[in-house]
Amino acid sequence: MSAPAPTRPQAPELSSGAAVRLVARREFVERGRDRSFLVSTAVTLLILLAVTVISQLAGGDDDSYDVGLSGAATAAAPGLQAQAEALDVEIDVRDVSPDEARTLVRDGDLDAALLAPGSAVVKEELEGTLRAVLEQASAALVGEERLRERGLDPAQVRAALDVEPLQIEALDPPDEDADRRQGIAFVGTLLLYGQVFGYGFWVALGVVEEKSSRVVEVLLATVSPRALLTGKILGIGLLGLAQLLALAVVGVTVAVATGAVDLGSEVVTPLALVLGWFLLGYAFYATAFAAAAARVSRQEDLQNVTTPMTLVILGSFFAAIWASSSPDEPLARVLAIVPPFSVLVNPPRTAAGDVAAWEIVLAVALMVGAIVALATFAARLYEGAVLRTGAALSWREAWRGRHR
Amino acid sequence: MLEILELRKRYGDKTALDGLSFAVRPGEVFGFVGQNGAGKTTTMRIVLGVLAADAGEVRWQGRPMDAAARRRTGYMPEERGLYPKMRVRDQLVYLARLHGLPADRAEASTDALLEQLGIADRGADKVEALSLGNQQRVQLAAALVHEPDLLVLDEPFSGLDPVGVDVLAAALRARVDTGVPVVFSSHQLELVERLCDSVGIIKDGRMVAAGGVDELRSRGGVRRLRVAVDAPAGWADGLPGVRVATGAAPDGAVVLELAPDVDDQAVLDAARRAGRVREFRPVARSLVDLFREAVAA
Ligand SMILES: Nc1ncnc2c1ncn2[C@@H]1O[C@H](COP(=O)(O)OP(=O)(O)OP(=O)(O)O)[C@@H](O)[C@H]1O
Ligand SMILES: [Mg+2]
Repeated sequence: MSAPAPTRPQAPELSSGAAVRLVARREFVERGRDRSFLVSTAVTLLILLAVTVISQLAGGDDDSYDVGLSGAATAAAPGLQAQAEALDVEIDVRDVSPDEARTLVRDGDLDAALLAPGSAVVKEELEGTLRAVLEQASAALVGEERLRERGLDPAQVRAALDVEPLQIEALDPPDEDADRRQGIAFVGTLLLYGQVFGYGFWVALGVVEEKSSRVVEVLLATVSPRALLTGKILGIGLLGLAQLLALAVVGVTVAVATGAVDLGSEVVTPLALVLGWFLLGYAFYATAFAAAAARVSRQEDLQNVTTPMTLVILGSFFAAIWASSSPDEPLARVLAIVPPFSVLVNPPRTAAGDVAAWEIVLAVALMVGAIVALATFAARLYEGAVLRTGAALSWREAWRGRHR
Repeated sequence: MLEILELRKRYGDKTALDGLSFAVRPGEVFGFVGQNGAGKTTTMRIVLGVLAADAGEVRWQGRPMDAAARRRTGYMPEERGLYPKMRVRDQLVYLARLHGLPADRAEASTDALLEQLGIADRGADKVEALSLGNQQRVQLAAALVHEPDLLVLDEPFSGLDPVGVDVLAAALRARVDTGVPVVFSSHQLELVERLCDSVGIIKDGRMVAAGGVDELRSRGGVRRLRVAVDAPAGWADGLPGVRVATGAAPDGAVVLELAPDVDDQAVLDAARRAGRVREFRPVARSLVDLFREAVAA
């Protein structure tokens, strides 16, 4: 009955760092292979690709045209090129026969064709820049013809009429890239909001899952509540970061490949902002969500206890949308610095507005401070509440619960 | 050795544990029984540190039970707990590693246990896809997978069919034979009687009877006899040192309790004087009897 315990190889001590790593790895792996996660990642990717490609197709016609010239109109080629250069568009010229021209235009291989001076063919209508260019070129051809008929040398006339273009001095020149940066900042804000809220809420769901399945009692008999909480937040956060990076790499690759954007500060800055503020925002909200979720034992009760965070993050989101169009308003400047609003308001303001370095440094420092302070409170609330099942606990009960 | 010393625990003004003490020796199976609400679960949660006692101490191998010792303990909570959506094998390997086992040993131990508990073919299934009884086996595996030095199991047999009980009992036996002490609570007293070396009966947070099963049965030197006599009821009334413990059975037999100094042959003589003796044999007190007496006292 009381045989001496045979010597077994003792399991090595498990440091709390090792426990955190194990918990984080489980969260990362288990959630990463969850079907709904994979599906949502794929859908997000597709949407991102579609947006990039469509914006490229829609915008593509603006700068490059294929124009066919036939017969006497072939003489318009140098004039066309000069015009195109002046208007900052690209025109590829091809010599074609009139019949060919009609077929090519109908098939969309040519945007327009000049059949003869004063006569052009297009598929639907001739618009905007291309119309101006063709009108100019055609008028020049007709004009030269008439000068010649009257015995005048077109070259001399041209030289006489050739004047320097208008010199323009802009008092408040528009930032060439501002619109584009604003667009990227808006998409970034949307992505950031979804990512911070989605992954923060996932932490809340995970905490409740462990409580409602009661597995938390098995876990806490061997790891500390802090290690469990830290590992969970780290694991889910890493998954969120990995997803964001994957989206960014694919999105930027496609956008650069199709020529929608150039790989420069106009892409790198918003991207760095989104990634950096995702980490800060996620750390903040995930901690708050975890503390709130520990108060309840059933998923149905989760909505109630997470309402405060949901409202704050939703408010920040609307503030961020407003701030991306009015980045330099005083209120936007303040919200971009004050945590936790800065999470969503700072990126669009920094991307689109006129920001001093100290503003960014202050915003980040305040946010880090807020995270540290919140983590201290949240860890205690979590410890106090996570083993208590039944009805939802009040914040007060959770706070005192640690002294079980 | 596991020692529970003077544990006290109150919930508000309700006293759950009121100076509870007992000890479990190496290689001993200790059955922890008591009515609903007596304090069994509270005690076990305190041993595992998921609940803090108001007073008292839990000691393991002569020292206060600490986090390292708890990591070497296998625990089956009253309310079962596993990740419902995690695969059985992954889950057991994970739990083993959380208890400090390196990866290779965690996997080897998991596979051996799944085999032993008869669920080797369910390793790749999610826990929620298993029947309740099989989930219970996985739960036991979760308590055993890290090769614990001590087992604390809260009602491990509830909800199992007789075959499941045997499988679980065999798995426990294998651990006990290597010197691991086991504490388990149960309301199935025949099972406790069959499996346990010692029993503790708890009432209102206090241990009212504890010791070896045989020792408890013969405690106080009281012997019991089952006697059937063709005689009117009441023939045994007034015999010195003899108490009629039960009413007459359908066949007219009664159970008599004999004080330590009473000679059973004298009782037999008295019976024969009353009428023809059809049955006369000593009976052991069952754990159920002990339990009823203990909680009624
Ligand atoms: N969280 C709690 N809050 C308040 N009272 C509690 C709590 N947990 C247990 N109790 C009380 O403590 C006492 C002991 O409960 P415990 O669960 O330890 O009993 P038990 O012996 O395990 O009972 P059972 O056989 O029904 O499982 C009971 O009176 C119970 O009502
Ligand atoms: Mg119980």
